[in-house]
Amino acid sequence: MIDPPIISAKELSRHYRVAEKSPGLMGSLRALWGGRNRVIVAVDNVSFSIQPGEIVGFLGPNGAGKTTTLKMLSGLIYPSSGTAEVLGYVPWERADPFRRQFALVMGQKNQLWWDLPASDSFELHREIYSLPKDRFRRVMGELVELFGVAKLLRQPVRELSLGERMKMELIACLLHEPRVLMLDEPTIGLDVVAQQTIQRCLREYNQSKKATILLTSHYMRDVEALCQRVLVITNGKLVHDGPLAGIVQRFGAYKQVRLQFAGEAIPPGLRLPDSATVMGSVVDLSVSRDMVSETISGILEQFPVTDLTVSDPPLEEVVARYFQESASGAGA
Amino acid sequence: MALKRSFASYLRLVAVFARFSLTREMAFRGNFVMKVLLELVWLGILLVFYRTLFRGVDSIAGWDSASFLFFLGCYYTLEGVVETLFLENFVEFSDLVRTGNLDLHLLKPIDEQFLLSIRLIDWSTVPKLFIGSGMMGVAVFQMGHPVSGWTLALFAALFVAGVSMAYSFLLILSSTAIWMVRNQSLMELWWLFSTLMRYPRDIYDVAWAWPVRMVFTFVLPALLVVSVPAEIVGKAILDPWWICWMLVSAIISLSGSRRIFIGSIASYRSASS
Repeated sequence: MIDPPIISAKELSRHYRVAEKSPGLMGSLRALWGGRNRVIVAVDNVSFSIQPGEIVGFLGPNGAGKTTTLKMLSGLIYPSSGTAEVLGYVPWERADPFRRQFALVMGQKNQLWWDLPASDSFELHREIYSLPKDRFRRVMGELVELFGVAKLLRQPVRELSLGERMKMELIACLLHEPRVLMLDEPTIGLDVVAQQTIQRCLREYNQSKKATILLTSHYMRDVEALCQRVLVITNGKLVHDGPLAGIVQRFGAYKQVRLQFAGEAIPPGLRLPDSATVMGSVVDLSVSRDMVSETISGILEQFPVTDLTVSDPPLEEVVARYFQESASGAGA
Repeated sequence: MALKRSFASYLRLVAVFARFSLTREMAFRGNFVMKVLLELVWLGILLVFYRTLFRGVDSIAGWDSASFLFFLGCYYTLEGVVETLFLENFVEFSDLVRTGNLDLHLLKPIDEQFLLSIRLIDWSTVPKLFIGSGMMGVAVFQMGHPVSGWTLALFAALFVAGVSMAYSFLLILSSTAIWMVRNQSLMELWWLFSTLMRYPRDIYDVAWAWPVRMVFTFVLPALLVVSVPAEIVGKAILDPWWICWMLVSAIISLSGSRRIFIGSIASYRSASS
């Protein structure tokens, strides 16, 4: 029997009315009376559902609507239309039982008391969530060990490095053992080591607590390391919902072909497109998917090839190219 | 909105906020000492003003030296309560809205109004509570007539009503930050409100000041906040009409400000991350 979805969004939309103003002082004065408004569609009829225990990545360029969707699902803002359920609750009603089972981590926002050690903020968290002392101690012990921050607990938060602070933020969000965890850019600004630690801890938390995780990140490494499934959103619309590998199939219009020729250099008479890169006798080409076999067989017939590989381009490159195209499409 | 947790649990949270705020203040002791000294200087100016006034006259608008000292003590204590418990929170509220850090407070399983009103406690204004209470004690001693337990209970109830009205005013002002985002006029408006509280309402009992007295008695009843409780003890006036109006005003202020706060939170757009 299939479990009911733990997160579901149905035709969720969010519009913003923003004031438009001409530049300069006169523009500001004119805006005082009869200023014009423009409606921005931040999220446009987005529908999806997530099963308990899934880790789902939410991808999209800046301004695509990822964070707005997360904010609606976490109950911070109301949608303009559509419905959503998280843990069986309508999120923007912000019922207490919902908030006790849920956490939102925002990489650019800080919930710890800046001038106090993180352990004090954890204690406050215990009071707010009414956690029994023994459960609090057990969970905090597990998380402190998982994140490797035992020595930093008594240090004021303002004296921690960015990576250390983010680990403490995550611990604060996990102390009440949320069943649904939403993360908005949790590794932003962190070095590779800190990123990997956070990825590992999130994976372990997901496995040990069977928690559901919805994650946005601009670092494809986060998404590749954690998510089996991704949602891609551009210009407020959901354009892909499926396995990570499906992104390359769906948006990767090109294959990468690497050819190694016999000898020290490429054979004379080989005509290459401008985009090709040549290093000695090795050539890298981007070839349209439907032209791969024709291109390779043509070269093999005419030139002495000693090695040949055909691969999909890196995920990051595919996504970046797709976002670039969709952004320029929106701007056109 | 969550008001279902037990009263004891809310009290425990206030104690935790108080402890953490004090720990934070102690991390910057120099700043804390400066703030306390500044409060004492303000008190000194207030007392000099009071002594100078009563050197030349026996009474002002029906308040003699001892009863006016009681009024000043009452004002000082009430302002101390508001500043210690609430003012810093409301001053910071528009920053929370502007930076989007309000998000993380709204997701806690606790009443948002409670959390945002009282999470920062300003210990530097605590001396005001003791000094204000001391001034009231000295005034009662100077007045030379005993104050009954019933009068004290009524005074306490009206004092709480006064704090509630001042709190509601601050809550309404802060809530507007959700729509205005930058709300730096809050301190100026609080200054206006506390200036109206600072003097007995009887000084507006002249024809030309009639509109001021009407507006700030019945529309925005700032003139009642200190005057009505102070009159009970300082002037032994027990006018049921004014006592009822003060209590009704406090209830209307609290419920009205809560409705405005809830409405503003529903309009929250959350700043970009």
